[in-house]
This record gives sequence, structure tokens and C-alpha cells, in this order.
Amino acid sequence: MPNPATAAAAAAAAPSSSSKKSAGDPPESAGAGAGSVQKAQRSKPARPSDDADKKLLFSEEQTKRLKDVEISFPIVYGTISFWLGKKASEYNSHKWTVYVRGATNEDLSVIVKRAVFQLHPSFNNPTRVVESAPFEVSESGWGEFEIAISLFFHSDVCDKQLDLYHQLKLYPEDDSAPQSTKKPVVIETYDEVVFSEPTEAFFARVQNHPAAVVPRLPPGLSLPPPAPLEHVNEKKRGDTKDHALSQWFMNFSEADELLKLAAARQQVQAHIVKLRRQLTKIDGPPQQSRAASGQ
Amino acid sequence: MDAKDILGLPKNSFPVIQEKKPRPPRDSQRRPDGVHREVYALTGGMAPLMPTIEVSHLKRKPTVDKEKISWQWLPFTSSARTDNLQLYHWVRVVNRVPPTGDYSFAKYNKSVEVLKYTDEEYEKHLADPMWTKEETDQLFDLCERFDLRFVVIADRFPTSRSVEELKNRYYSVTRALIVARAPSPADVSGHPLVKEPFNLAHEIERKRALSSVLSQTKQQERREAEILAEAKRIMESRMASKSSEEVELPVTSIDNGGSEKAAAPGESISPSANNNPSSSNVAPPAAAIDTTSTPASLRMLRVYLRTHALEQMVQAVSSTAGMRTIKRVDQTLQDLGVHVKPKVPTKSVCAEHLELRKEILTLLNLQKQLQNKEAEVSANRETSFTEAPGTPKRSYRGDVDRPFIPDSVGFGGERVGKRDHKRKAPGRTMDAPPSPPQSKRPRKLKTSD
Repeated sequence: MPNPATAAAAAAAAPSSSSKKSAGDPPESAGAGAGSVQKAQRSKPARPSDDADKKLLFSEEQTKRLKDVEISFPIVYGTISFWLGKKASEYNSHKWTVYVRGATNEDLSVIVKRAVFQLHPSFNNPTRVVESAPFEVSESGWGEFEIAISLFFHSDVCDKQLDLYHQLKLYPEDDSAPQSTKKPVVIETYDEVVFSEPTEAFFARVQNHPAAVVPRLPPGLSLPPPAPLEHVNEKKRGDTKDHALSQWFMNFSEADELLKLAAARQQVQAHIVKLRRQLTKIDGPPQQSRAASGQ
Repeated sequence: MDAKDILGLPKNSFPVIQEKKPRPPRDSQRRPDGVHREVYALTGGMAPLMPTIEVSHLKRKPTVDKEKISWQWLPFTSSARTDNLQLYHWVRVVNRVPPTGDYSFAKYNKSVEVLKYTDEEYEKHLADPMWTKEETDQLFDLCERFDLRFVVIADRFPTSRSVEELKNRYYSVTRALIVARAPSPADVSGHPLVKEPFNLAHEIERKRALSSVLSQTKQQERREAEILAEAKRIMESRMASKSSEEVELPVTSIDNGGSEKAAAPGESISPSANNNPSSSNVAPPAAAIDTTSTPASLRMLRVYLRTHALEQMVQAVSSTAGMRTIKRVDQTLQDLGVHVKPKVPTKSVCAEHLELRKEILTLLNLQKQLQNKEAEVSANRETSFTEAPGTPKRSYRGDVDRPFIPDSVGFGGERVGKRDHKRKAPGRTMDAPPSPPQSKRPRKLKTSD
């Protein structure tokens, strides 16, 4: 787990090359030396070589894809930020953590090989690569900005990356509540990473993984028995169930959402019935009068 | 109060004198009698905002009225009269000089120059098997006497001839005379009577159409209004589909609906049978999209976010709707207390969300239809009000020329039916509930929220 960076992290300055307002640093501390350092960091390739994976020779069975099957992984990404209270300085008012976790706090490293967090360019080393779970970055600063999170998957899962965007929030929405060092500002987004037409190998590997939502296979399809879960000890390490911040994680209840939707649909349907009745009522009388006149 | 008061020193006389000096001018501006103190306090002593009228202006008397005007009862003559009848009228006399000259309205006494023909001319150019010379002579006499007021002429004509026949005879004779007397046909080609000959058949048809319009029954009128309203709706939906540049599917379906209606415009188009262009507009694409299956474009990606899939499917569902409708759907979602974007977008939540959106679209469509219907009904009711007994129609009917009486026997038959409708009309308007509509509907939606 990376150290929650302290004031030192924000000390390095950036020339305001980005159009965005500098959020991490005092603008006046911009120095030429720091700028060049940052440039070098930014030009660092987003995906470090994963030759080891690519060199694997896939058997036919492994590359065969399952049509009309999708595997999804519910994830939650967001930020938790604490006000530093007495310790807050002008440019270091908050300590925050940005992360991607499994919606049920299961280990995502079963699919995610690497997560890249793109911070505001004013941060020292703004492109943070996290190679193992938990996928998170802690920082401190004073400004809010959008964090881009790119997820890279294991080669048997998918060779494309997935980009998430999250707006860092440091200050509570309602100004009425005073800032407190005890209660953080938590902003989380629920989403699902969907893999369409997965390879059979991938399917077999994650079939029994708690982080995955795996559909029933259409009959007639037989798969190799699920591989035993590897890296048992690693998995222990990767989940976020005992995370230091887990008490602040939000609950996302599908049932609540479904209930609300069902209630709304009922209302709308009732309206539709009412309108239909009104329509026929309007249509009705002229027909009658016409019939009468026809006699 | 100042330092001297506090110190108990006597007031110096010097400032008193200074104070007195400005006072007299203030007194001269004393508040005029009859003005309340409060009012004066608001304006008193201040320069007026509006420029006041100069006194010299008020004093000057208008110099304009030096002439004396009187009205007198005086005799007058009119050049329009041939009988030297002496008539009197009130005249405006300026400075005792009565106006001279012709009666001012005499210039409006225009008479038509009716051509005269000789016997030879009649024999040569004007003979018509349908008309005797006596009849033609009579016609021209009457034309001259009544200045071509053919309705009057037809009224006086001894034999039974329609206005059109009389007109046709008169104009054809006059035209023949003009052409015969002209040195060459080219000289008179510009003459209105030659250029635009009287068209007997057209005139008869015109009056028939006019009388049929004027004697329409209320039912016919309503049917016409329905057809027009429908045509308008079809046009609107066509425009909408054109602007949205959508797949041919909805367009063709509308076209079908349009041609069906065009094929049977006179037939009774029952409003219920309207294959509502608006709903058919939306239905096919909605039905074509399976909510459970994600768009192929996303499946090709191998990996995507559920929210992206939902966004695409929402777009597909509302692709046929306009921007306004899409906004209204979002608004309705909010009114229903549902997130415009689901907070927990699982597969089933997304499917439900999509279904809800589709249903809201249907609802909005129905509302629109209902509004259209109500507009139609109220339009019908308006026409039926104007058609109430004693409307211009009766008087127009009197105007319809007599030759159409045989035709109007048919109308008379219809009129019986029409009276029938009139008796029925109030009943109809009663059981179509006096449109609870426009104002009430939005409120209803809210109460159920």
C-alpha cells in the first residue's frame, strides 16, 4: 500500500502548461527544473511492457470465444478526502485517496493487471501506475480536479484498456455542515465492467471468483473444470474488505433501485391506461352521432 | 447644538445674521395654498423634473380661428339628376360664403354604356337559336335600365332565364358587336370583354360549389375539420421524421398512413381508427431494439462499462424523439423520483430503466394525441357554435340565385337531416366531457406523483 503522500508530494511545481487551473501546487512556485522532470514523467509510456504475458502461447481452446456470453465485474471507483483541520496549510488542506475497488470489496486483481491514475499535472509525477491491488493512490492537496483512471487487464481477459473518470471532491456539497477532520467527503460511482464474448479460458478462470458475475452457460457448452484459484495468499492481500477506509465505503443497493423503478413504472403505466381511456372517450361520441345520423 | 451650547456660551450674533440672509428667498417659495405639506415636502424647493411650460406660450392665443363657420340649410343641384329636382341639405359655410360647384356625390353616379345594335347587325352577328330578338331587346333594355344588375334584371325578366343565361347572352352579344365594329380583331384584343369571355359553365359550377359550401351540414363540416386536422398531423410527423433523418422504417409507415387517408378522404374516417402517425412513428424502432441485448458496436469492444451501454441504448430508444421530448422524459424521470442515470447500473436495473423510459415516451405520445384530439373536438365545437340557428348561412341562402332552386331541393332534403343534427348537437357536446384537458392534465400528473 503506497504511503499517503504528504506535503512533499505537492511541493514540486509545474509550469501552467495545462489549461486546467493548477490544483495541487502554489502556482508561484513553478520552476524550470521541476517542469522538465515532470515532462519526462509524463512521456513515460502508459503501459509498461508486459512481454511476459504476451509471450504466452495460447492454445486454440484458450482463444475460443463464447458467443452471447458476458461476464461482468461490479466495481466502485471514487475518492475519500479528509480535511486536515489544524494541520491544514494553504496548499495542503486535504488528504485524499482515489481508488478502484470491487463493489463487494473482492480482489479485482483477478482481471486488473494495472491501474493508471492520471492526476493533475501540477502534482509531482502525475501519472501514477499501480501494479497490484488495492488499486489506489493517496495524495494531499487543496484543489478539486478530474482524475482519469485507466484499467489494464490481464492478457487472457482483454487486451483493451478501460477508462474511468472521476471528479475529486474535497469540500462537502452542503456548506451548512462545517468541515470536520473526522468525517470525510466520500464520492463513489458504481459501474460494471462488462466483458463480452470472453474466451473460454478466461471464463473458466473467473467462473467461481466472487468478484465476477457470470451467467449460466447455454446448454451444450462444456467447459474445462474451473481452475483452482491461484495466488491464494495474494488474493488475501488484494481485497479491500479490511481496508483502512472501508468504514466509509458506500453501499450500492440494486434492490432499492429496482424498487424505485418498479414504482415509477407502475405510475407511468397507470397514466397510460388513464390516457388511453380518455382518448377512447373522446373518440367515442362522434362515432355514435355519426352512426345516428346515418340512420 | 454645538460646542457653544454645551459650554453655555451665548450665541454669537454673527451667524444669526448669516442665517437670516438665505431665509427671505426661501419664504418667497412658500408652499402654495391647497397643496399638502407632505406633498410639497416631496417636491418643494427642488427643481422640477419635467420642463414646465413657458408662460408666454400660455398667453398666446391661437391665431388659427379667424374664419367664421356656420352650418346652413341650403338648396343644391346635382349634375347626376336629369329632372332638376330641388333638394336641400346642411352645408358648412365658411365666412358666409356658401360652397359652389357640383354636388360632391354626383361624381359617383356612373352609368354603364350599353351597346345598341341595329337590325342588320342582329341578323348578321347576333342571331342565336336559344334567344329571340324580342327577348334580346328586352334584356338590353333592362340592362340599361338597371345598369347591369343582373340579379334585378333576372327578377324582372318576363321569361324564366337564369342569371347566368342572361349574363351569357348579354356579354356574348356585346362581345360580338365590339369585334364586328372594330376595324380589325387586333384592335379590340385588349378589351376586357374580348380578353376574358364570360364562361357560362364555370359560373354555374362556381355557384353550385358556393351554395354547397354554404348549405353544408354540421356533420360534413366536422368531418372536413377532422380530415384537415389529420392532414396537419401527418404533415407534422413527416417534417419531424425528415428532420431527425431517421431510418426509412418510420417514414414508410407514415407514408402508408398518409396514402390510406388520401385514398378515402370523403369516407368516414373514424378517429379511433387513426393509425396514429405519432405512435407508429416511435413504436417500430422501439420494438426493434431488444433491451436485453447490448448494441453490437459495444460488443465489438470486448470490454465496456455498463453505463456506456445504457447510454447508447437510451439514445437508441429516444432516437426518434425530438430534443424537447427527450428533455421531457428526463423531467418526468425526475418528477417520478428516479435518477436520470441509475446510481447502481446493474444489468437488470438498466433493463428496467430502459423500459421506464420507453413507457414514458409512450405516455408523452398519448398526451400529445389527446391534446390533438381535444383541439380537434374544440375546433368542431367552435364551428358548430358559429353554425347556430340564425347565422349568416340563411341570408346567404337567400342570395343564391333563383336558378339554383331546383338544385336546392336536394339541399332541402339535407336540411331536414341537418336540423336533426342540431337537435343532437348539444347531446354530443355534453357527453364529450367539456374537455377536462390542457389545464387539468399536468396537475393530474403531479397529484399521482
